Amino acid sequence: MLGVARRMLRRQDLAEDAVQESFVLTWRKAHQFDETRGSAKGWLYTILRNKCLTLLRNADREIHMDPADLEREGDATVLEAAFDRLDQAHDLRLCLETLDPQKRMAILSSYILGYSHGEIAGRMDAPLGSVKAWVRRGLLKLRECLS
Amino acid sequence: MTQRALEERIDEWVLGLASEAEAQALEALCERDAEVAARVERVRARFAALDETAEPLSIPADFWDRIEASLEGAPEEMTQSAPLEPAPPASAEVIELAPLRRAATRWRAVALSGVAAALLMVAVLGATLMTPTQPAVVAVLLDAQGQPVAVIDGRKDNTTLVTLLEAANVPGGQVMQVWTKPRDDGPPVSLGLLDPGASRTLSGENLPPPHPDQLYEITFEPSGGSPTNLPTGPIYGKGFAKSPVY
Repeated sequence: MLGVARRMLRRQDLAEDAVQESFVLTWRKAHQFDETRGSAKGWLYTILRNKCLTLLRNADREIHMDPADLEREGDATVLEAAFDRLDQAHDLRLCLETLDPQKRMAILSSYILGYSHGEIAGRMDAPLGSVKAWVRRGLLKLRECLS
Repeated sequence: MTQRALEERIDEWVLGLASEAEAQALEALCERDAEVAARVERVRARFAALDETAEPLSIPADFWDRIEASLEGAPEEMTQSAPLEPAPPASAEVIELAPLRRAATRWRAVALSGVAAALLMVAVLGATLMTPTQPAVVAVLLDAQGQPVAVIDGRKDNTTLVTLLEAANVPGGQVMQVWTKPRDDGPPVSLGLLDPGASRTLSGENLPPPHPDQLYEITFEPSGGSPTNLPTGPIYGKGFAKSPVY
């Protein structure tokens, strides 16, 4: 879990805070958990991801980020490493492989790095409208492929 | 709203692209519509494999102390001590104790499954959750690969809650049997059988109250339990008990 948070937040201290707060939140929200809906592990990760996203989205006004910390050392490397670690035979991997690189990058950037449409556009040096379309079409293809 | 649009909205939400308002709208929709909720779960499960690709990192030594402190702190303090977090909605502040207590044991297990893998130790839990049935000891059972597979809550009244953390691959015709060694120099004693893959509470008889460092283990045994009344089959998980700090 810490690895997921670290990958999104890029800072060890923030990642630890996120994991810790997720656990506390899990305790407090335990009564909302409905095991018929999904796995407990999935629920924990969802809480963690939401916590990280909240931190990221509020980063501008709430976290004083040293620009050096934000230096995204090779987003592509991080994303490729993640993709490479997906099981070769996993449906998600097989389907992601069928996507154009741009669509795949856009989707992985948002899930793994927690980027917004705007951030993806900035990193990929592409118009916002294109990024939104890549994501939409990429997700559509993934749905078709995975169904 | 057409089906297509909803699917797209769910996908983007799970991916992390939804705005706060959109996320709240979808969450509310899930509350009302179980079918939508199930669909969201399917999408989450679809992407979950990506979570597994993160670098495993070890948890800092003081991690549990911090969690414990957070759990003990009043909710108001919690918010203050977390300056990075915007004030949560009021509902998150309401601690409904009764359902929480009911869920506590299960969530203790879940929290452990996440962190224990890194710590390989037993958790310390908050005083806010003290209940008459609080465990006297807790043990996390690890498999041969060191992965947590079950959590044991041993209670003073000699009931033992066994929570399996994943569906076990029980060999055909066999059952899972839970053992403990109430005396370090004595033989293992059976606490009972588990239906495959099912967590349950077992009642031991004529056993002393559980104590720290007591051994617990789960083995695979022939249907009906070990013929010798001692563990004979392969060990599924094994661990030593600790006393939770309340």
